Amino acid sequence: MIPTQSIWLRLIAALFALTLVAAACGDDDPDEQPATDAPDTTSEPAATGDAEPADEEPDGESATDVAEPADDVAEPVDEEPAEAAEPADVGEITVGVLVPLTGELGEFGKIVADAIEFGVGEINAAGGTRCGTIRTVVADTGGDAETGIREATNMIESEGAVAVMGPTSGVMVALVDLAHREEVVIMSPYAGTINLNELGGNFVYRTVSSDLGDGAASGLWLSSRGYESVAFLIQNEESTISPAEVARDEVSGSGIEITDFIVYNPGQPSYQAELTTVLANNPDAIFLAGGQESGVTVIKEAVAGGFEGEWLFTADLAVPEIFDAVGAELINDKAFVEFADADPSLPEFIAFEERYDKAGDPFAPNSFDMITLVALSLEAADSCNGAGINSVIRGVAHSDGAEVSTFAEGRDILASGGAINYEGASGPLVFDESGTVSGAYTIQQAINGEWVNVEFYPASTFDG
Amino acid sequence: MNWPQLLVTVLTLGSIFGVVTLSLNLQYARGGMINFGIVAYFAVGAYTYAIFTQPPPQGLDQYKFGFGWPWWAAVIVAGLAALVFAAVTGWPTLRLRGEYLALTTFAFAEVFHSVLLNERRIGNGTVGLARVERPFGDWGPIEEKYVFAGAAALLLVATLVVFRRLLVSPYGRALDAIRDDETAAMAAGKPAQQMRRQVFLISAVPVGFAGAVYAMFTTLAQPSLFTAEVTFIVWIALVLGGERSVYGVVLGTLGLVFFEEIVRAWPFETVRSAQIAAAVEHVVTGLVFIAVLRYQPFQAAATRLRASR
Repeated sequence: MIPTQSIWLRLIAALFALTLVAAACGDDDPDEQPATDAPDTTSEPAATGDAEPADEEPDGESATDVAEPADDVAEPVDEEPAEAAEPADVGEITVGVLVPLTGELGEFGKIVADAIEFGVGEINAAGGTRCGTIRTVVADTGGDAETGIREATNMIESEGAVAVMGPTSGVMVALVDLAHREEVVIMSPYAGTINLNELGGNFVYRTVSSDLGDGAASGLWLSSRGYESVAFLIQNEESTISPAEVARDEVSGSGIEITDFIVYNPGQPSYQAELTTVLANNPDAIFLAGGQESGVTVIKEAVAGGFEGEWLFTADLAVPEIFDAVGAELINDKAFVEFADADPSLPEFIAFEERYDKAGDPFAPNSFDMITLVALSLEAADSCNGAGINSVIRGVAHSDGAEVSTFAEGRDILASGGAINYEGASGPLVFDESGTVSGAYTIQQAINGEWVNVEFYPASTFDG
Repeated sequence: MNWPQLLVTVLTLGSIFGVVTLSLNLQYARGGMINFGIVAYFAVGAYTYAIFTQPPPQGLDQYKFGFGWPWWAAVIVAGLAALVFAAVTGWPTLRLRGEYLALTTFAFAEVFHSVLLNERRIGNGTVGLARVERPFGDWGPIEEKYVFAGAAALLLVATLVVFRRLLVSPYGRALDAIRDDETAAMAAGKPAQQMRRQVFLISAVPVGFAGAVYAMFTTLAQPSLFTAEVTFIVWIALVLGGERSVYGVVLGTLGLVFFEEIVRAWPFETVRSAQIAAAVEHVVTGLVFIAVLRYQPFQAAATRLRASR
């Protein structure tokens, strides 16, 4: 007879049931997050474009709804605006920083996290937001989508994060559903994936343009170099394939022969098979859209195989560490790199550069803009949560209001009932329907072991 | 630390991977088959669920198939798809034994992963299928995540019950006989090859279901989620829990996921501390694995459970 009476089986089932009941009845640590647990009084999302401050009477009913301490901070902020530097005594509001600190994009994750940390430092030094000083919770995704989901869930559910910033393309796509479900804003300064062209826009934003823009800039550069033939070597990732396809169309449209368009899988010990094909056609240049791990191997093996032409890399290789990894002598004067970048002539960027010594790092201005936008949105919103941020962020980023480029300036104007138009260090931030901004691009050349600017394409280059 | 959230995550993921580990346990500990490609059956379930629930392609989508079926129908199809995939891959591979079978199943899984990576018309290539339907909503005052965790746990318990009944039945004892001495069992009239194939097929079905639930959990079916790492994690859970013990397998999987989650549950407030944590995580994980293998707490717990019955 089958022992269906197995008591232990029942015990395991009971354990599961108890866990569920305990979890369902549990409290989500309200004491740790007084501000974020405030009732959501957000009204209809603000219309895109004009930034009517959502909360014209911060001391009124809505402010009370947000969090009690908010009343305490509103008035002192009015009296001593920018240089007050008195930390607001309204507790903390948590923002998640979800970046790859390890893996192929680890260098970028560090740059992004550092720039966010710098931005948070400035915001808190200016007195913090009306929802409290900003507290960051940092986690490493390693670029892995499942890890990203688990870490983001922890940040939101356990730490009470109202926004999660910094995911890479694959992780961003994975988090779209979570963002909608939890009503938490998710932002990235470098997720160019075209997937977000359709999925983004509500709770999902990015302060960088779509990969399609990268492709157009790369194509423009390759077409202008006077090459007769170009080979494309593309890592098998969506974030590299889609811009490469745009670049290929641009290049072939300008009459340049495309000798190869090879998509390779990363993680191989050698890429000799792909390079043998590419080098047999002796191209003038190779467009390499690869990650830091595969890219280094490809470059070394291509040079060892006799390639003496020029390179154009995509943003993943736009880090100084590439010179140590590859050997500067192999790419000096021959290699170029393209990436979405801030306009260095913008006064907002110059001001940022004066305050932050790593402003020139790829995506650092975009990252700084991200946290500043979130902080200003908290100021403008009715409620201290993701829904509040989501309802006003478009208006904060672009409106007919006063132009501001720092948190302190924007906060003062919002506090006095005015509207603001945040002009970012990375350029004007106008979110389109998909929550994406238009972008400008820089081409840098490897000279004496460092990347040096040689060309800049403002966003207007690609209009129309 | 938010314990309720931690427990819910452990219960959800532990249940999903527990089902896979239970199936692997049936194949390995009872059927004597070393399957190093279990992730492929898991992926088949996830992709099938995603394809059958997603809407037809539009805009920038590169996939060609999207049927918009209700979730429950897609879950059933996911189990059936895993069964069919097991039949197709089992036919040539189950003629092999031991390490040859292990390598062949591993190769099958890698080929399948490569197809997912490169074939955009089925699974959208490296982009994968996003926004996979997550069917459960709030049940009155009970939040969706608890409902979801309950559903995952239910699948685990159902798999546990079915497998236990199977193993304590005469069929299960015949399997044990084949595993212990195949020649003697065959001499006694047990169709060893046929029964081994049956076990392979039966155990694939819950893995397909688990894949579907995993796709619901992540709302994503993407090649990067279904690498050989999943296979090794499930094998580690099996080893931690102790083969041949269904309770040990469940405890081992839950323990493994719990450890992963508790490391992540610690909030790091600076970039530097997060970097250090990322760097030492693997070292600590390795040390814990060594300690668990040395002292075998899950096996001991499972043995105590059995002994006290």
